[in-house]
Formats: sequence, structure tokens, C-alpha cells
Amino acid sequence: MSASLLLQYALIALAVLVSVMVVAKKQFPNATRRLRVACALPLLREGRPRWLRSMGRWIAPPASLTGAGACGGCDSCDTPSPH
Amino acid sequence: MSAVAVPLRLALVGNPNSGKTALFNQLTGSRQKVANYAGVTVERKEGRLTAPSGRQYAVLDLPGAYSLHPASLDEAIARDVCRGFYPGEPAPDALVCVVDATNLRLHLRFVLELREIGKPMIVALNMADAARRRGIAIDVDALQRELGVPVVETVAVRSGGAQALIAALDHIGTRSAAPQKRLAAHERDDAGESQALHAETRRLLSLAVTMPRRTARIDDALDRWLLHPVFGLLALAVVMFLIFQAVYAWATPMMDGIEAVTGWLGDWVGGALPAGPLNSLLVDGIIAGVGGVIVFLPQILILFAFILALEESGYLPRAAFLLDRMMAAAGLSGRSFIPLLSSFACAIPGIMATRSIQDPRDRLATIMVAPLMTCSARLPVYALLIGAFIPQQQVWGVFNLQGLVLFALYMAGIVSALAVSWVMKKWRRDKSEHPLMLELPSYRLPHPRDLLIGLYERAMIFIKRVGGIILALTVLLWFLLSFPAAPADAVGPAIDYSFAGRIGHAMTAVFAPVGFNWQICIALIPGMAAREVVVSSLATVYALSASNDDAAAQALSPLISDGWSLATALSLLVWFIYAPQCLSTLATIRRETNSWKQVAISAGYLFALAYLASLITYQVAVALGAG
Repeated sequence: MSASLLLQYALIALAVLVSVMVVAKKQFPNATRRLRVACALPLLREGRPRWLRSMGRWIAPPASLTGAGACGGCDSCDTPSPH
Repeated sequence: MSAVAVPLRLALVGNPNSGKTALFNQLTGSRQKVANYAGVTVERKEGRLTAPSGRQYAVLDLPGAYSLHPASLDEAIARDVCRGFYPGEPAPDALVCVVDATNLRLHLRFVLELREIGKPMIVALNMADAARRRGIAIDVDALQRELGVPVVETVAVRSGGAQALIAALDHIGTRSAAPQKRLAAHERDDAGESQALHAETRRLLSLAVTMPRRTARIDDALDRWLLHPVFGLLALAVVMFLIFQAVYAWATPMMDGIEAVTGWLGDWVGGALPAGPLNSLLVDGIIAGVGGVIVFLPQILILFAFILALEESGYLPRAAFLLDRMMAAAGLSGRSFIPLLSSFACAIPGIMATRSIQDPRDRLATIMVAPLMTCSARLPVYALLIGAFIPQQQVWGVFNLQGLVLFALYMAGIVSALAVSWVMKKWRRDKSEHPLMLELPSYRLPHPRDLLIGLYERAMIFIKRVGGIILALTVLLWFLLSFPAAPADAVGPAIDYSFAGRIGHAMTAVFAPVGFNWQICIALIPGMAAREVVVSSLATVYALSASNDDAAAQALSPLISDGWSLATALSLLVWFIYAPQCLSTLATIRRETNSWKQVAISAGYLFALAYLASLITYQVAVALGAG
């Protein structure tokens, strides 16, 4: 396989991964949140290396998911957040 | 150590349609939805305001309420937040009671009730300009003196129209004295309160307000025609009809422009990149798919321009009044009109707006039929199929045939909703009648600024959906249509061996009787997340199925008009009148009813209706020779 083709497949894999994350976050916000918490908790335990804990904080969901609660993931009635 | 300044919490309260949300937008620079009818806000909204003095405020916009004795869920929310009983919501430090200066007889009663809470309060006499124009003279000083709280004039829809309120806010504080005047102790029991409030309202009006002899000559003249049982309905039909004619007549040049740009972009990207999977993803997947959806933006904007203008004008509550008898006969309450109207944009705000319906059975009936209103996400699907199969010709030399078909599809949704609610009424043997109590606002010319903001919001919502969920689903569908690759000894097209190709062929066992081919079956799955994705999915499927580059570069419309029978197209159009597949709507029904049973009933009856109606349409069309 040529380097060009390898790069193309890598970009496609990245696009597909991001798309899966977007769809999961929009359509299944609660399940996505629980999954992120479950993945982050083991990384944030006492005694874990610093870089691992940073990664855990990055994976952990924010305190509230804007736009995911009221509309069940649909943006059709979305309005911008107040300033 | 310096303490961080805690913002003062202000709650905007008042009767429905007093202009609270418009004032909230003025104060916070926000752009929440406003309209000239009651019941637009059903949830609390929060924004920030920094006064010229540097003081910070957290401003809460609450649903409208007529009284602190709630008759519906949204009124209960407003009451609980004002009193500081709402779970998880700190009590407001001060209240801003927004009243419609043109309708003080109704609104002052609620001011008196709020005054009884005993919190610092300012009364905002909103629409003060409209009151002056109608010759209503309000003695603000006298009103302030008699109420015992500050009273200021505001014009929420005009830039700088809230300056007096902001200046007054700087003089109010958490430790401000509570309102000086209250009802006497013997008047505060339930029986005496209502009478005392009425008497006090009359006294205040006689002291501080001078009404003109005829308050609204133009309103009366217009209402004589527009609320007439025959001419009114005729006018409503003409208005609706013209809207759908305009959607087709005006959008075509802009749609052609967008189509030309996406076509050029596809050619340019396809030529610039070497052939391979990335080229296919960009050209056949993203540009064909997303470009196929974005082309319908002009039609959506034209439709919403009319809806926003009607909302602003004050005509829509009149339409509710005209349709009340029909809705009552079908078992829907008059209060169902606004939720059902909201559902034309999206069923989700419509379902949330049912919180203003007092009777739980009426509320459930409205929730159940809200998905039958044609939401804006269905418009691209309708437009694609109508453009491909309905010739662009004039009927009786005046009407556009495509516009007529679109009008008929919207009407079919409305008639189906009335039929379903009628069946529900018969099912539960409900013989009760609910009289419609509706406040008819004054007519007003739509403000161009509000119209432009509304259109900008709709465009942004659509573009956000195109760039978010629609793009993501298009990429995933392209992946499922492209992998795994066909085996070396494959005889059929490569797409038949892909994951999605196999799923689509398997689904035809269920959908062949309604005339759906495997490409349509595939498109129905991502359409569950967003209905517009059906269009992008079909574009991607056909681009990947194409035998050569020229065929792949063709627009979707001629491809399906060549490949499908008229019977299939009609069947799919009918399917989308009922279109049960919207996960977000089902999630909202679950949250609003707190019942999985209602979700199952809703999804089940919509699917059954969609399948049955499509089956009948397809089989009849085939029998008539359209197959």
C-alpha cells in the first residue's frame, strides 16, 4: 500500500471516528455522558501518572451538556445561548 | 481579598404576550424567540446584563402567567420561581413585572398578585408607544404612587427601549424595601382575594388611566372581515395558499445558484484530488450529500419569512379562533393551536409548548398528533420529490402545480392530525368541551429587524444541522456504502457488497409492498436522526451507484425521476406525511409524558399509519398504471 493511500485511509478513519462521536453525542447524550464518565474515572484515580489524569479530565464530560437536554439532541428549535 | 460581585437575580414575569421575551432580548442581547401571541416561552431562560453603572444582573425570562394560582404547568413554573420554591433555582432578588400598556385591565391584576409576594419589584409598562398611538393616557406617577413600586415605560421591540428600566434597576437592591402597599389582611383569603384584586384594578384604572372612546378602530375593522365565519376562513385559506405558491415561485433562482456552486465544487475537488477513497468521500459523500440538502435553504427561508410575518402581525391567534370549532369537533382544545403551530417548525418545541394545556388528556392528545404537523425537516424531502415528479406547470393559468401539491401535503398532515385526535376522543369516550379562552393581540406591522433576526436564526439552525448531524451521518453512510470492498469475483455492482447495501436489500422484504427500492430503505435509517438526511443519503447512494463519473456528477432530482416510478414517489411522499422516524421527537415525548408506553404508542401508530397509507397509495397508483 502506498503512503498516499495510507494517508487517505487514516484521514477517512479520523472522519468516521469524529462522525460517530457527533452522532452519539447528538442522539444519545445521556449514554454518551455515562460512557465518558466510565472511561474517565479509572484514569483519574489517586496514584495514576500525571499525563493519564490529564487525559481522564479531557475525557470526562463537562458539568452540563448544552443543547443536549431540552431538545433530545435535535437542533431544529435551537436558539443561541444568552450572552 | 476582594469579593467577587454576585449578580442580582431578576425575574421577568407577567401575563402571556406582554413582551417579556422581547424585553429579555433587549436587556441581555440574546435572541430568544418572540411572537405576537401568548405561550411562546414555556421554559425559564437566563441571560446576563451589565448596567452602565457596572452592576451585574442575572436575568430570568419566565413563562407567561395570568395568576399565581396556576392553571397549567408553565404557570406553576412561573409561580414557584417567583416564590423561590422551584427546585434547584435560587429565589430571585427582585421581580420585573412586564405589563402590556394597551391591556392594563387584564395585566394589572397580576401585578397586584405579585406585589403580595413582598419582593422588591419594578413594573415595566411595555408597548408604551402602542398605548400612546391608541390614545391611552397613563399617569405613570399616579400608578407608581398607588402601587407603591417603581413604574417605568418600555418599548421592548425598539433599540434603547429598555433604558428607563435599566436606570430604575440600579436603584433597586436586595435589601430594598418590600412594596409599601399590600392587600388588607381580611382580603388575603382565597374568597376575598379575587374580589379585592378586581376592585383594586378598577380603582387603579380610574385613577391612572384614561382610555380613548374607541381603542382600536383598525383592529375592529380588520376583525370584522378576518374573524367572519365565511370570509375569515376564506382569507385564511388564501393566505396559506399564497405562502406555498411563493415557496416555489420565488425560490427557484436561488436554488439554481446553490446547485451550480455545489456542482462546480464537486467538479473542482474531483479534478484536483487523485482518484481514490478520499476523493470518493469528498465528492460522492460530502459534496453530493450535503450539497443535496443545502440547496433547499431558500425554500425554508421563504416559508419561515411568511410564518414569522404572520406571528408578528397578530393574525395567528385569529386563525386559532377561526379553527376552534373544527378543532373542538376533533377533540382538541383551543389551547392546542399554539403547540401545533410550533410543530410546523419542529415537533419538539410544539410538544414542549403543550405544557400550557391544563387538561392532561387534552395535553396527551396534542402531544400525540404534534408529529403529524409538517416540520421544516420534511420540506427538503417534499421539495426533492415534487421537483422530480410533478411538472412545473400552471393550473387554471394562475397557480403553480408544484405549489399546489406542497399545499396538499401540508393539509394532509393537518387533516390526519384532526382525524387521529377525533379517534382518540371517541376511544376515551370523552364528551367534554373546552371553551377557547384566547387573548387577541392588536394587529401590528411586522418589524423588519425582528423578521431578519428570525430568518437569520432559521438559516443558522439549518446550516448548523447541515454542518453537524447531517454531515456526520453522510460520512458514516458513505463509509457503510463503500466498505467492505467487493470481492475479486464479484458480478454485481460493488455497492451491493457493502454493509449498507446488504442492509438495504434485506429491508426490501418489508418495504417492497409499498414500492420502496433498496436505496430508499437505506436512506430511511439515518433519516431517523434528521429527516433531511434522507435527501443527502439518497444523493450519496446514487453517486456511489453511478456507473461512471458523468452519471455520478448528475443532480439527484433527474436521477430519481429516471429511476423511480411515479407510484414509488407518491408512496414516499405519503410516508413522510406520517414519518414516524424521528428519535429526538420520541425522546421529547418520553420526557414530557414520563412514559415509555406513550412513546411506544406514538411510534407504533405513526409507523402503522405511514405504512398503511403508503401501501394504499402505491397499490392504487400501480393499478392506475403509474407503476
